[in-house]
Amino acid sequence: MTVAAALGEFEQVVLLAILRLGDDAYAVAVQNEIQRCTGRELSRGSIYITLDRLETKGYLRSRLADPTPERGGRAKRYYTLRPVAIEALKESRRALVALWRGLETKLA
Amino acid sequence: MRSSRYGAGWRRSLRSPADREPLPAGVEWVLRVGLPADQREPIGGDLAEDYAARVQRDGRVRALAAVWLQALRVAWRFTWDRSMHGRPLPPIGDEIRRGSFWDALRQDVGFGVRMLRRQPAFAAVAVLVLALGIGANTAIFSVVDAVLWRALPFTRGDEIVALGEARPREGRVNGPIAPADFFDWRRDSRSFAAMSAYYETAMNLTGRGEPERLRGLAATPGFLAALGISPPAGRDFAPDEEMYGHHRVVLLTDGLWRRRFGGDSSIVGKSVTFDGNPYEIIGVLPSRFWWPTRPELLVPLALDDHDRTLRAAHFLNAIGRLKPGLSVAQGREEMAIIGRRLSAAFPAENANHTTSVLPLRDALVGDTRPALLVLLGAVALVLVIACANVATLLLARATTRQKELAIRMAVGGARMRLVQQMLTESLLLAILGGGAGLLLATWSIETLRRFLPAQFAALPGIDGLGLDARVLGSALVVSLCTGLAFGVAPALVASDQRAGRALNDAVRGSSDGGRGGRLRTALVVAEVALSLVLLVGAGLLMASFWNITDVSPGFRPAQLFTTRVTLPSARYDDHAKAVAFYQAVIDRLRSAPGIERAAATSAPPFSGVDARLNLEVKDRTIESQFPVRAHPRLVSEDYFQTLGIPLMRGRVFDNRDRAEGPAVAIINQSAVRRFWPDRNPLGERISLGDPPRWMEIVGVVGDIKHEGLDAEVAPEVYMPLPQEFAALGAGLVRGLSVVVRTSGDVVSVAPLLRAAVAGVDDQQPVGMIRPMDDLIAQSVAPRRLNVLLLSVFALVAVALTAAGLYGVMAYVVAQRTREIGVRMALGATPAGILGLVLRQAGGVAVTGIAIGLAGAYLFARLLTSLLFQVSASEPAVYGAVCAVLAVVAFVAIMIPASRAARVDPLVALRDS
Repeated sequence: MTVAAALGEFEQVVLLAILRLGDDAYAVAVQNEIQRCTGRELSRGSIYITLDRLETKGYLRSRLADPTPERGGRAKRYYTLRPVAIEALKESRRALVALWRGLETKLA
Repeated sequence: MRSSRYGAGWRRSLRSPADREPLPAGVEWVLRVGLPADQREPIGGDLAEDYAARVQRDGRVRALAAVWLQALRVAWRFTWDRSMHGRPLPPIGDEIRRGSFWDALRQDVGFGVRMLRRQPAFAAVAVLVLALGIGANTAIFSVVDAVLWRALPFTRGDEIVALGEARPREGRVNGPIAPADFFDWRRDSRSFAAMSAYYETAMNLTGRGEPERLRGLAATPGFLAALGISPPAGRDFAPDEEMYGHHRVVLLTDGLWRRRFGGDSSIVGKSVTFDGNPYEIIGVLPSRFWWPTRPELLVPLALDDHDRTLRAAHFLNAIGRLKPGLSVAQGREEMAIIGRRLSAAFPAENANHTTSVLPLRDALVGDTRPALLVLLGAVALVLVIACANVATLLLARATTRQKELAIRMAVGGARMRLVQQMLTESLLLAILGGGAGLLLATWSIETLRRFLPAQFAALPGIDGLGLDARVLGSALVVSLCTGLAFGVAPALVASDQRAGRALNDAVRGSSDGGRGGRLRTALVVAEVALSLVLLVGAGLLMASFWNITDVSPGFRPAQLFTTRVTLPSARYDDHAKAVAFYQAVIDRLRSAPGIERAAATSAPPFSGVDARLNLEVKDRTIESQFPVRAHPRLVSEDYFQTLGIPLMRGRVFDNRDRAEGPAVAIINQSAVRRFWPDRNPLGERISLGDPPRWMEIVGVVGDIKHEGLDAEVAPEVYMPLPQEFAALGAGLVRGLSVVVRTSGDVVSVAPLLRAAVAGVDDQQPVGMIRPMDDLIAQSVAPRRLNVLLLSVFALVAVALTAAGLYGVMAYVVAQRTREIGVRMALGATPAGILGLVLRQAGGVAVTGIAIGLAGAYLFARLLTSLLFQVSASEPAVYGAVCAVLAVVAFVAIMIPASRAARVDPLVALRDS
């Protein structure tokens, strides 16, 4: 069993968004990035849950920034990918590309 | 760690008047309750940022709504996710816990079956207890549903109403109606699509083999229309067939048509002889035709011109069908207006009564409703006790599974998932119990049907009593609810253990999980309390039943037999002929071997036959808060001696009281008490009903019970058979009952009676011959059934409770063996240990009894209408019940307690 097999579609989307955001990946930014790229309307709850689960599964690492007054003195939690997540993304991309190959004419 | 590092700062920030918009306190609370500690701060911060932005953009109200919604959704997502999936685990093994609800269910059912098979004794006891509860409930529900709730077997049965007279001052509703009133109602009302008067009758079928007496119904045209029935063969009565002279037509029921006429398809139009007169068969009723009295034929209710104007003789019943869309209340309102108009127009006859309009079902079910509902309530209590019982079993079992549960939770099993699995096991038990309960119910319904008193046979739905879709559905629902009821609490308690502690405890093999122990005690207290409620109910009904059977009927019922002999008007067209017939039969009987005395009467006690008429006293107005009415009884010469009714004053009837002699009457003591409380009634002249006929009172006899042993005795006026009495119509004398006192039994009496009747008129059939003892027993049969059923329920309840008490105490003793061993090693005596256990268990029993007493008092007040000469708070019953329950509890407790006292400290300490 490969690790990539455990990656769901939504998990991939979230991981990719975090990758795109770089150092600025926190929940609200992730939600906005996904919405901007895919047009998908998402609930904040599902973002939080997915981030939480991905971190527990060991794909993400998080850190708390300093509290800011805009947030009522609360810290932001920023996420970054662990290497295993990069591997998992590569693996699922490889699988998808393999599946796509030769179908360009049919699905164009 | 993160949460502790930032927690304090976050908390402070909640209070700090930040220069931005602080989150509403409610939202803070939602986040605190709904989110894992490490997520509260960052998510709270995100929401605060959102909120501040929205306040600027959309205004405070919208922002508030949005942030609340957001917070609730996020909190819900986390709560749901955690409870369904447990704490997320690393990728490895994650997919084990994935899978659909159905996979989980399949897994749980399989696991549950294995668990039950591993503990067959536990499974058998639980299934048996549940089967008792569910089976009894299903059986009683089937009766209650059939009688009270299922639709009547008529098209749009809710439009059918029973019409009658209400006499508020006498507490009577839906009493019989006088003919003139009925015809006025029918003429004046506009709310009814059909209205029909009827009475029960019986007719002698002759000329076709064996003469037979058939039960019938005489009804004015419109009866079938009111019921929504039309004969599939032939026609309904025509309007003019209610006129005397045009009335010789008959409708046969499907049963009679098949039984006596071989299902002859060309029967319509043929002639048949009833009561010596030719009747034209105009139709056959559909096989689904049903009426409580089970008539076999329908004839027009035809009154002659005189009888149609009677307004003081009340002997008709009536039904009506409301026009579509009209409510019972609307029909009632219109009838009340008509009733008031008639009261004003005929004050002498109608001043004291109004009209009554009842849904037909209410009229048919009558007094049975409270008794049935009490039984349903009682049997529901039995089920609750059964649930409590199984719940205590499950709790005890759950503690033995603590280790298993603790390990499963330690490796990440979600609490909801464990609860789901334990509930699956409970539901499995409940369904097994329900299946066994259905078997029990099938058997119970059959038994019930056999023991149902005759009065119940007239109730709607009794014929179709049995397991149908509704009953099966109710059994299923009850089983599932039962499974949840006894499963939820143990499942929650069992799964609510700090994994570590439970693990430690499980290893040490001690401790009775605090909440589980308390819950178990509470359940047993509830069982004791509910049993007491049922026992008190059964006790009160039993005391009532004893009181009733202790009541003397006022005559000697033993060795007394009665049968009704109704003469056809064709051959017995005047009073003298009918009297001569009965007199001849009585004479023949008197000379028959084994017959000590014989007499005839228009209304033998406990026969259900009765009438009431206005009473007048010559030259005197009786001041009474009650209507001045008395019950007429036409009796032959030897009647009082035959029944054994004592003569109190004056004389009984003798051969002086002939047709042409002076009119005389004998009254009972109730009449004396009510109308002549302070004077001697002998020699006074009275008249009953209309037309007036003055009779001299020549004697006073003792009261006898007529309607039932529990009924008040009403004033009665006995009149000698030979003297014609027209107030109740000429038919009265043609429908008498013959009463004989014998030294033999019913087997030897029947041929003598038949021979005597046949010797006088060989065309004359004889009705059923009933021992008077049977009639009296039948009058208390519904009470007997109530007592019997409630007693059975109470016994089951007590047995379950005793088992529950025993189980809990045995468990407690087993758990405390080590402690008891230590105590004994330190010098406690066996008697001391016995006292220790008894005190603990006794506390449970006494608490249950105390709570039960309060509940029993409330329950007993619901029973009031079923009680007889017993108060709902009768101390003797409560005392006896408490004593019985205390003894049962003591025995149940003594077994484990004495086991505790025998604990060998060495063995106990070594084993631990």
